[in-house]
Amino acid sequence: MALNFFDQFMSPVFLGLPLMALALTLPWILLPTPSSRWVNNRLLTLQGWFINRFTQQLLLPINTQGHKWALMFSSLMIFLLSLNMLGLLPYTFTPTTQLSLNMGLAVPLWLATVIVGMRNQPTHSLGHLLPEGTPTLLIPVLIVIETISLFIRPLALGVRLTANLTAGHLLIQLIATAAFVLLPLMPAVALMTTMLLLLLTLLEVAVAMIQAYVFVLLLSLYLQENV
Amino acid sequence: MCKCKLFVVSRDVVGSSRSLRHRRCSLQKGTKRPKQGARCSERLAPSFINHAVQARSHFSVVQASRSLHSSSQSLAPVPSLPEKGGKVRHGIIPEELFQLLYPKTGVTGPYMLGTGLLIYMLSKEIYVINHETFAAASIGAVIIYGIRKFGPSVAAFADKLNEDKVAKAQEVKDLAMSSLTQATEDEKKEQWRVEGRSMLFDAKRNNVAMLLETNYRERLHTVTNEVKRRLDYQIALQNLQHRMAQEHMVNWVEKNVVSSITPQQEKESIAKCLTDLKALAKATHAKATA
Repeated sequence: MALNFFDQFMSPVFLGLPLMALALTLPWILLPTPSSRWVNNRLLTLQGWFINRFTQQLLLPINTQGHKWALMFSSLMIFLLSLNMLGLLPYTFTPTTQLSLNMGLAVPLWLATVIVGMRNQPTHSLGHLLPEGTPTLLIPVLIVIETISLFIRPLALGVRLTANLTAGHLLIQLIATAAFVLLPLMPAVALMTTMLLLLLTLLEVAVAMIQAYVFVLLLSLYLQENV
Repeated sequence: MCKCKLFVVSRDVVGSSRSLRHRRCSLQKGTKRPKQGARCSERLAPSFINHAVQARSHFSVVQASRSLHSSSQSLAPVPSLPEKGGKVRHGIIPEELFQLLYPKTGVTGPYMLGTGLLIYMLSKEIYVINHETFAAASIGAVIIYGIRKFGPSVAAFADKLNEDKVAKAQEVKDLAMSSLTQATEDEKKEQWRVEGRSMLFDAKRNNVAMLLETNYRERLHTVTNEVKRRLDYQIALQNLQHRMAQEHMVNWVEKNVVSSITPQQEKESIAKCLTDLKALAKATHAKATA
């Protein structure tokens, strides 16, 4: 049974059992558990340092109310980062290529920020629908535009992540196939294709990290507006 | 009670996650040692993973005793972490495999095993070379390049983080110690000062006595001067009176003498003076010509 290019994105099933839960939860095993020691091994030190720095940087522009979201953001970041990076390995399934998963992350979190804003400071939140300094004539148009932009946000969040990762994986598959097929026919061209594949892999590593970061950053931005 | 946690040994760039493994290994002193060839991960996985691993394991491993909590091992005092992680060759293959195969197959054993396995899987088409192989090769190259290039610096950074942490605590301890030694020295100095206190008092007493003496002498001097001044005044007064009397007397005598000189007496005295002068002139003239 020959694989087509989109089989890598099918939700994995083994003997009728869906493996999606395993795909989502097993990356957690790779992260070392914080121990009760004061001085840890290098891995744990680096993990602790990274999470501390990341959370500190992310929560810098957010006021104290928003700091309740620190755990959410840091765990989301680690989750997305690990899923994306592990997906770059061969024969792996990347859950974040599924639109359902990304929308399932984006819509509730975005909605939470909006509801938090509307409940605690409704005037201030609604005020974001009109940027400062707009000419009076443009106000109605701009409010409509800003409302549309507000509702597009969860869609954009989810689709951005899905599209980036899916496109990246597809490209890797395509170029790898090209290199594979060209190898017996035109080895020199296959060599160049392999070089391209190497560069693309580097790009995909970067994209995996950046997309996870962007997802969390945008959510923190939406929170900052509303809190 | 030994609490075993579930974790997969990840042989990664910084290479020290195995240290955690070894920590757990060292706790198992009271339990039966598994056979020397057992991979460490199998010794540590908890029981439900054990069964899955055992079914496919090439080595027989005794695992049951640990999960029955029958050992008297405790977690305190916390055993120390090993300095370095487990030894690995080529980044991912533990040294224990090579040690295991060395007696039977020598140095090249594991390599032959690896090559044979690879060729077996390729020839029997258990693993088929397809486009994913290329993708695997490229991601493998990226990972290996990343680890070789950035591994040492990342490890050094992690070490530095830990060292800074320890250094900060050490600094606090050193500061406390230095301040305490300083306090001890200051206290000793104060004690030495106390010994010299009597000397200080003597010196002060001498000072005060000298001041008093000086003061007394000054006042004595002043008194003497004052008395002398008064006496000088009296002397001057007497001298003045004496002189005035003398002058008065001299003036009175002169006045009387001058008034008592008659004109007859005056003429006689002038004639006498003239004859005396002539005689003197003659005498000098005679002396000059002689």
